[in-house]
Amino acid sequence: MRSRVHRHLASVVPELFADLPPAMATLSVAGALDAEGERPVLPPEFNWRDYTVMLLHVAAEIEHSLMVQYLFAAYSMGGPQVPEELRDDVRRWQEIILGIAKEEMGHLVTVQNLLTALGGPMNLDREDYPWGSDFYPFAFSLRPLSARSLATYVVAESPETWSGPEAEAIKEVAADTAGQYVNRVGALYGRIDSVLKNKDFLPDELFHAETLPYQASWDEWGRGYTRGQRGQEAGNVPDVASPQLLVFGVFSRDSARKALHEIGEQGEAPDVDEQDETSHFNRFLGIYRALAGLPPEQQALVARRVAENPVTAHRLNEVEAADRAAAEVTTSPITDPFTALWGHLFNLRYRMLLTDIAHAFRLAGPLDNGGVLTGRGALVHRAFAEMYNLRAVAGRLVELPLERDVPDGLRAGPTFEMPYSLELPHHDHDCWLLQRDLVQASRLLVDQLVDTDPASARDPYLIALRESDQRALEQIEHVLGRKGCTR
Amino acid sequence: MTTIRELRVLPPLAIGRLGAATEPMDNYTAETDPDQPLAPRRLRPAPTLRVDPATGAITGADTPERLRFTDGHGKVRPVAPFLEVWALTDDDVLRPLTVDLLEANDLTPDDVQWRVRVGNHKIQRRTYDDDDRIDADTEWFSDHTAHVLMGLCANFLDDKFLPLGHARYVKPTPEFPGIRLRFTPAGGHVYGSAYTDRPTDPDPNVVDFLYDATRGKWRGHADQPGDPRLTIPAQIYAGDDGPDGSWVSRGYLDDECDGLVHVKLEVLGRELSAFGRIGAGPPAYAPDSVPIRTVADELDQALFGPRATDRDGLEHARAVAEEVLRRATETVRLMNTEVMNGNTVDGRVDAASTMVRQDTADTGRLYEPIMAPSLVDAGAVLALHQHVLAALRSGTAPWFADVLRDHDEVGDLTAKGRRKMPALMRGADGRSLALTRRQVDLVRLAARQAIFRQAGDETRGPR
Repeated sequence: MRSRVHRHLASVVPELFADLPPAMATLSVAGALDAEGERPVLPPEFNWRDYTVMLLHVAAEIEHSLMVQYLFAAYSMGGPQVPEELRDDVRRWQEIILGIAKEEMGHLVTVQNLLTALGGPMNLDREDYPWGSDFYPFAFSLRPLSARSLATYVVAESPETWSGPEAEAIKEVAADTAGQYVNRVGALYGRIDSVLKNKDFLPDELFHAETLPYQASWDEWGRGYTRGQRGQEAGNVPDVASPQLLVFGVFSRDSARKALHEIGEQGEAPDVDEQDETSHFNRFLGIYRALAGLPPEQQALVARRVAENPVTAHRLNEVEAADRAAAEVTTSPITDPFTALWGHLFNLRYRMLLTDIAHAFRLAGPLDNGGVLTGRGALVHRAFAEMYNLRAVAGRLVELPLERDVPDGLRAGPTFEMPYSLELPHHDHDCWLLQRDLVQASRLLVDQLVDTDPASARDPYLIALRESDQRALEQIEHVLGRKGCTR
Repeated sequence: MTTIRELRVLPPLAIGRLGAATEPMDNYTAETDPDQPLAPRRLRPAPTLRVDPATGAITGADTPERLRFTDGHGKVRPVAPFLEVWALTDDDVLRPLTVDLLEANDLTPDDVQWRVRVGNHKIQRRTYDDDDRIDADTEWFSDHTAHVLMGLCANFLDDKFLPLGHARYVKPTPEFPGIRLRFTPAGGHVYGSAYTDRPTDPDPNVVDFLYDATRGKWRGHADQPGDPRLTIPAQIYAGDDGPDGSWVSRGYLDDECDGLVHVKLEVLGRELSAFGRIGAGPPAYAPDSVPIRTVADELDQALFGPRATDRDGLEHARAVAEEVLRRATETVRLMNTEVMNGNTVDGRVDAASTMVRQDTADTGRLYEPIMAPSLVDAGAVLALHQHVLAALRSGTAPWFADVLRDHDEVGDLTAKGRRKMPALMRGADGRSLALTRRQVDLVRLAARQAIFRQAGDETRGPR
């Protein structure tokens, strides 16, 4: 977590600062919960609204990071080496993990809604990998699926009360994989709620119902996934209920607290309930038990041999180690030039996804059953289109070699490197200029891929991507020509 | 040995298309453009058999340089299919029946006999009056003249018949020795009903009055609410508002038809026979697009069952998934998604007959757009479908199986149920359209299996 955020977190996790110099320790005292454990104390440099916005920023980064880690694990699964008898299980597990990642996406946009309702800036940022976190003291890390990586997800989503021999064993595996672990996400959401519920801290008028048309809605972002109870029907895979995408609009204190409560409950199951199959914790635990029950040689076959924390070649000179209580984790530079270009394409489409989401939040949805449409709907669709592109490019990266001239070595895997900035320009016209920049950059990358490996000129995906980029450019030019920006 | 043992008419089902131009439509194929895989299919001219109107013989099989769907004077060129006779010979080979094969069996083309029987029972289906059935029968023939398919009906005016096109036994030649029949559909005209006991106003919509509105009940007919035999929705005939909300028929007829083409041949004292099916529908006004669910999909399901089987390999399942997406893209291109979604358009609420209106009219459901109104900008919806198609072409497992509507979900009027795919469209039962069970199951098969492949691994067996 970035240091400029980190220095304020003593207010939530004071124990992190206990052994630091007195000045920091003072901040810690300033921010700690009071004796009853109920009433939060405002840290220096804040008022309550701004403090809430800061905490929501941290929450957004965590949801974003979880989602990306889970996506990486899910994309790593499969491959021709998976034994026939395991394939139904592996496909089912992948579907479950993808479902959890989709639900984290719902959490992420719901946190943006909270920010929007409070009039705070949205936050789609996060650190690159690997990195240490105050809330997740093991390093966030992109790892192919294994019992070891799964153990870290189980622990990350576990309720505070989870204990017993199995819990201890899994925590040990997680600690061995990623460093000592203490779950503090619950503490974060608890702290935000303790501020939200207090009228003295946040008066009613700070919840801006008029921002609803700008917020994400389930109708726009749910894509047919269940609202309410998680779907009963098998979707892509038999016996896997479809995900429950929670996207809550925020228009009052109650709706803000409900949104926070629901996403907290879906993820980190506040209490251990073995029967509750809906929490991420129980779903991960179920997969962990099945996977860990396999012989080690079979466990090794469920995922492709994908590198940890793959990064594109322009970072060749950097070797990063995660900080804070973490096991030593480093990046895996992609040295195969062709693979690296696919990595860049992945990063670029990831940036396009984040840009589309941010841009969509800039534009209001229609108020009257669509009498006046803005570019918002198109941006929501573009965001989903980029998710599909990420899936497609990830599918390539898990098959391509990491290292130059080592064709049988590790595979690369999706890179998920953050862009230099997620700031949108002030004017809508300039946002569309940025959109055009990104599409043009994509076309350049496709050209480079074809130059590097002429066989790529016949790659059905690249041909189709080039065409869809061309169509996107035409749409953007249409908007820029003031023919379609708003109407 | 080439003794003819059995006959077949191939294709077993041929669908013609109406058109008033003299020259039938040229042959063409609809192919995906490899350089623009997201674009509509590209139509390519294909070798086209030309039939001499005077002799009934094929004079050539050239490929036209460009395709033209009208005669240049506003008349549509009909699609006139050929039906070929094939013979199963005693060496167990199915081969085209030709002049040579006939000769080898001591027969000539004159020994081949044809009979075409077609009907148009649209009026009878509404009125339940058998005197409203329109049928045509050529009786047996062996010559090569064009046999008009005269649709006769007990309730027609004296000496009137409904022209349903014509059938012609194509004269075999040394260059084109095959035994074929060509069905040329009718012109695509609208006919009317006239009274015999009072004057009938002229009607610019009709080319002629055929039906005796005094004798028959078709003109003035109104579907009776509550009749379980009605089509869903009912009242889908040209009409006008009548008393008590009824919908009163204007008495129009069209010249579509369907029926059987019979062929028979006596070989060594045994009469062999076979038949094929023909039909005529309206012209294709988007010939580069394929509807999301077609008769071919129904036949596929009837033949192979509703579930994917061990015979369906992963590549086939993937191809079906991509084809579904391609057709969805082609369909979206033709849809006014804002109106069909039930959006308020230019200030108009409930602007057209849509699934939204139908859900409300049939069940009293709240009138509410199906998708979020912001999402249905036509260009954006098309772009989204194109992106899905692009991603599929990467070899990615299809992930949209869980948003496909199952056959037993067509009446699910929840927000989620109405948003399943294909969306905004009506099925034959009046509720939301679903793909065939087999289409859905094949997409799911691809979704389950595609993660276990490796690029370049093209030799995958059945699942």
